[in-house]
Amino acid sequence: MMIEALIAVALVGAFVTFVAPNRIAGKLAFAISLIPAGLSLWMFSAFDGSGNALLDGELAFASEFEWIQFGEYSISWLVGLDGISMPLVVLTTILSSLAIVSSWTPIDERESQFYGLVLFIEANLIGVFAALDFFVWFIFWEAVLIPMYLLIGIWGGPRRKYAAIKFFVYTNVASLVMFGAFIALVFGLGDVTTFALPDVTTAMLNGGPDGFLGIGGTTLASLVFVAMFLGFAVKVPIVPFHTWLPDAHVEAPTPASVLLAGVLLKMGTYALLRFNFTMFPTEVIEPFVIPIAAIAVISVIYGAMLALAQTDLKRIVAYSSVSSMGYVILGLIAYTQFGVGGATFQMVSHGLISGLMFMAVGVIYNATHTRMVTDMSGMADRMPVAVGILVAGAFGYMGLPLMSGFFGEFTIFFGAFGAEGLAYSQVFTALAMFGIVIVAGYLLFALQRTVFGPYHLETDYDVDRAPLHDIAPMFVLLGLIILLGVAPELIFEMITDAVDPILETGGEL
Amino acid sequence: MEDVFNYAPAIALFPLVAFVVALTFGKYMPKKGALAGIIATGGSLALSVLMLVAVASGEVYHETLYQWAIGDAASEIGADGIEFTFGILIDPLAALMLVIVSLIAFLVHIFSLGYMNAEGETGLPRYYASLGLFTFSMLAFVYADNLLMAFMFFELVGLCSYLLIGFWFRTRSAPSAAKKAFLVTRFGDYFFLLGVVAIAATFGTVAFAGDNSFVAAAESAIDNGDTLFGFGAETWVTITALLVLGGVIGKSAQFPLHTWLPDAMEGPTTVSALIHAATMVAAGVYLVARMFGYYALSPTALAIIAFVGGFTALFAATMGVVKDDIKQVLAYSTISQYGYMMLGLGVGGYVAGVFHLMNHAFFKALLFLGAGAVIVLMHHEQDMWKMGGLKDKAPITYYTFLAGALALAGIIPFSGFWSKDEILYDALIVGLEEPVILAAYAMALVAVFFTGFYTFRMVFLTFHGEPRSEAAEDPHDIGWSIKAPLVVLGVLALVAGIANLAPVAKLAHIDITFLEHWLDGEYGAVEGLTYSAYGELLAFETAYIGGEQLTVLIAAGVSLLLAFSGAGLAWKLYSVPEPVAHKERLGGARQTLESNYYQDEYQVWLAEGFTQPLARAADRFDQTVIDGVVNSVSTASLFSSSRLKRIQTGLVTNYAALLVAGFIGLLLVLGYVGGWFL
Amino acid sequence: MTVGVEHYVLLSMALFAIGLFGILTRRNALMFLMSVELMLNAANINLIAFAFYHGNLSGQVFALFTMALAAAEVAVGLGIILLLYRNFRDVDVTVPTTMRW
Repeated sequence: MMIEALIAVALVGAFVTFVAPNRIAGKLAFAISLIPAGLSLWMFSAFDGSGNALLDGELAFASEFEWIQFGEYSISWLVGLDGISMPLVVLTTILSSLAIVSSWTPIDERESQFYGLVLFIEANLIGVFAALDFFVWFIFWEAVLIPMYLLIGIWGGPRRKYAAIKFFVYTNVASLVMFGAFIALVFGLGDVTTFALPDVTTAMLNGGPDGFLGIGGTTLASLVFVAMFLGFAVKVPIVPFHTWLPDAHVEAPTPASVLLAGVLLKMGTYALLRFNFTMFPTEVIEPFVIPIAAIAVISVIYGAMLALAQTDLKRIVAYSSVSSMGYVILGLIAYTQFGVGGATFQMVSHGLISGLMFMAVGVIYNATHTRMVTDMSGMADRMPVAVGILVAGAFGYMGLPLMSGFFGEFTIFFGAFGAEGLAYSQVFTALAMFGIVIVAGYLLFALQRTVFGPYHLETDYDVDRAPLHDIAPMFVLLGLIILLGVAPELIFEMITDAVDPILETGGEL
Repeated sequence: MEDVFNYAPAIALFPLVAFVVALTFGKYMPKKGALAGIIATGGSLALSVLMLVAVASGEVYHETLYQWAIGDAASEIGADGIEFTFGILIDPLAALMLVIVSLIAFLVHIFSLGYMNAEGETGLPRYYASLGLFTFSMLAFVYADNLLMAFMFFELVGLCSYLLIGFWFRTRSAPSAAKKAFLVTRFGDYFFLLGVVAIAATFGTVAFAGDNSFVAAAESAIDNGDTLFGFGAETWVTITALLVLGGVIGKSAQFPLHTWLPDAMEGPTTVSALIHAATMVAAGVYLVARMFGYYALSPTALAIIAFVGGFTALFAATMGVVKDDIKQVLAYSTISQYGYMMLGLGVGGYVAGVFHLMNHAFFKALLFLGAGAVIVLMHHEQDMWKMGGLKDKAPITYYTFLAGALALAGIIPFSGFWSKDEILYDALIVGLEEPVILAAYAMALVAVFFTGFYTFRMVFLTFHGEPRSEAAEDPHDIGWSIKAPLVVLGVLALVAGIANLAPVAKLAHIDITFLEHWLDGEYGAVEGLTYSAYGELLAFETAYIGGEQLTVLIAAGVSLLLAFSGAGLAWKLYSVPEPVAHKERLGGARQTLESNYYQDEYQVWLAEGFTQPLARAADRFDQTVIDGVVNSVSTASLFSSSRLKRIQTGLVTNYAALLVAGFIGLLLVLGYVGGWFL
Repeated sequence: MTVGVEHYVLLSMALFAIGLFGILTRRNALMFLMSVELMLNAANINLIAFAFYHGNLSGQVFALFTMALAAAEVAVGLGIILLLYRNFRDVDVTVPTTMRW
């Protein structure tokens, strides 16, 4: 019942914060968020699962009971964690706590509603990573959108309405495609009468669907694969479905950006791994391997090129997320232990690093009220500690060794280079790897122009050292990034343990 | 002696502690973190010397200490698992390099007391923290026992270089130079990382030494005639070796990725001495030496190394001739000297290359520190035309600097002569059989002349003649912390050549090639990592001009002659009381040389004239086409709904009519499907 | 002698068509209401006829429900018409068009 406890604490906390006075809402929300954070850390240390949740693995903290029955189909509350979801749950709870602290400075209206929504997001995100029944999962998946829509739409920048609606509609339409495809798949699987993901997976790997609405089984499987891939591609996002991301990031308040880049994007890659690459046998995936690898490489390079052209710090980080997610897709499609394991690791690592970057940019924005590269220079002169962390975060983003980003990228490249199922894998790897040069280019350009050089600021504000509660969460993140960079086995071991069954049952691609 | 190796990790960890201490408490400490750095590097130096003694007594150390990641990965040659670990490999080469790095780091820390603290710089904790982090990374790189660990610390020294070049971040030029340095080396590291990945995926191991090293695996793959990733084993080894070489070329500032090093002189001079002359830049060459067995398997890769080295030696030396800034001259000479080392390694002269690496570390650190002393004397003036006459006012600086200059120019009996001559000799004997290497040799030989010229042009302009500015007439005081390191390094620049007097040994048939024996594992060595083991792998033929001794004499004589004539020309032109520039005599070449052969221009163009417009075009494409499609979907649905909503007339009658029409339509459709009309 | 079920159906059809015609052509709200009543009663006839035909009482029960519904509808409808008249001084349904798009 640990997972239910996590979700319940966050949900109850959300309601309590919602009705609390604005004055104490921030502190209260932080105090409440420490409970799931501590609890999930304890769960992490007590984690006893093994194998993959969808492939008869030993689940940790699992619980199941019947929920709804209609006709022959039944929906049950089924939650549990395996080596893939456990690190993501910890990432969610920790990042939520830190995001709450980092909003103490910038959020100065309707605080209780703001923090309530953040806790509400947290509850749903935990649900997304823990749920193993499609309907339960889908409810959490969709429920994440609403508070995020409100966070952007109410506390966002000048174009917040446009960004919020674009974010909501775009991702929602994608969800619809995915939802329809999955339901068709379950109806196509004649003898499956539940929506529990393990059952569906077993049926998929043992013969696949019989057909639905006159579409043959093999065709149906391929169609569903494509539809679900497209549905998740928007969430990840993969080029060319990425344009909602920079708009949403630019308009979103800092903590929302942190959660958006840190966890919401991982929902997409997590779902890709859970659904597309676990449920479908390799015969279905095979025809799409080259296109997906190509799209991954394009995401990496194109995203990085776009980041190079930006002058808004948040847009730079936003586009570089597109680029980083390209690596994840490459790792997934490599279909090797290091590729898929590295991709999963990269999800966690990118969550930490992009969270750190958005926080650092946020701290600078709090002081200067501008994010334009052209509006400032020499910030290191006034905010040495914050800038120091920004520089460290930027190097983390570039994949500096002994920081987590390097491990993620290296394992992905290594896993992809020798991938036997991916033709021309060496070429794809070499092309995608060039992203590490471009990422260094745009981040160093941005650093050179904003934080170094003689002090200068276009806007009319006095810049002083950032308060401790702005700096502290960044230190925590930096510590985690270095910890995972030095000792990646902390989570890589459980990840590979959960990834192995996928590759074994999937067979040689 | 074996126990002493248990302290090996501390060699790197001491400076790491100093980094943490300087970063957190540096502000409150009396010398702002300098003491922590000095104690730490001093400790590292002592331990490194112990390691050297231990290796001399026949012990080596090869231990895996920490498992970074482990997993299944089908490699090309059949292994199905791989471990990425951190380990320490202390063999003769590593022990030698450890002493060099920790010695120079120690001296530079002491020098910094006079150069940074005494000059009232701000941000010293940051400076000493970066130095500590650098020393940690560099030492860890040196005794890394596998390629991935080497790569990781190779990148980390790049970070430290970035931080230290950009130390004076309030200026415009320093951050720009720092960015350029990191970007250019990063470009090289891209190939290096690709090489690491390729080697790991091919051989399932990244270990440098031992039976399961990738070198041994590559050797047996070539022997078995395996096919690796669709290539013949030897071709694939060449490809991966060249990929790794990309990182070497970036870090050791070889053509065409040399452009960052002269700009890196924006950093404090101490940093230039430590990082951009003696150690970090040496990392590239050291890496080639470290995995020399792998390069020895590929004559093509070696020939490319040799040619790039020879070309760079000449190319950089010609640019050094026209520079007015004392640090710029030294920067180009650094590039040129690393070219020599590459040439030495490329022709199979493993000992010669390492020998020059050692000597160069000493005399170039000396020259940079000497330049630092001059800069302090001159109240932070770096233009040589404003100097002059410092000889009498700062004798210690002058004589030590002169020792370094003589070593750099390759004048007998200073250390530089012995190692450079050995490289040229090795290149010559191989070149007699291989035309490509003969070309490389010829370029390196011509470079000797230029080296002699620019070195003594620098010496004469700086120290001789009449003072040409007020600062030069009334130099600033320098303290013991500046002089002491100069003296230590000055002595080393003079005597370090004793380590390997190869020409003397060959001519007089006496056994005094200590370094050769050292690297050949006559004291202690890891199997397969010895000079003779490499010799067996090498495929180069050698030839002599009328016997070995005559060849030795010719090689040494020609290079000495050229060095003296270069120095002599400088003496004639610049050793006068009121020297004037002679650049106009260069005619058309002058503009090209002063613009550094337009290398910066095309690289800046690549970054700013090509990549950035491309990025902007991509951005425009993204905003108009891709986002345009997204927005047009919403526009289209908004437009169509604005049209469609007009059937909502508000007239009940219309609604009723529509209802009826819809009902009839449905009836007709169902009827058609039901087959009523057939 | 029994009357065939088709006669009932024809009658109800005619009644329904008359009601429909009224809705489509009249503009007076009161006429609307009456036409709707006609249509409802056409449905009632059908319900009762088929109930009788099948010997099953549930159709007749439904007819009772429909009548109750019709009464309620008239109550609400007359209220709306009264409001219409109060606001527009007319009971023409084409006059109040403020509810469109």
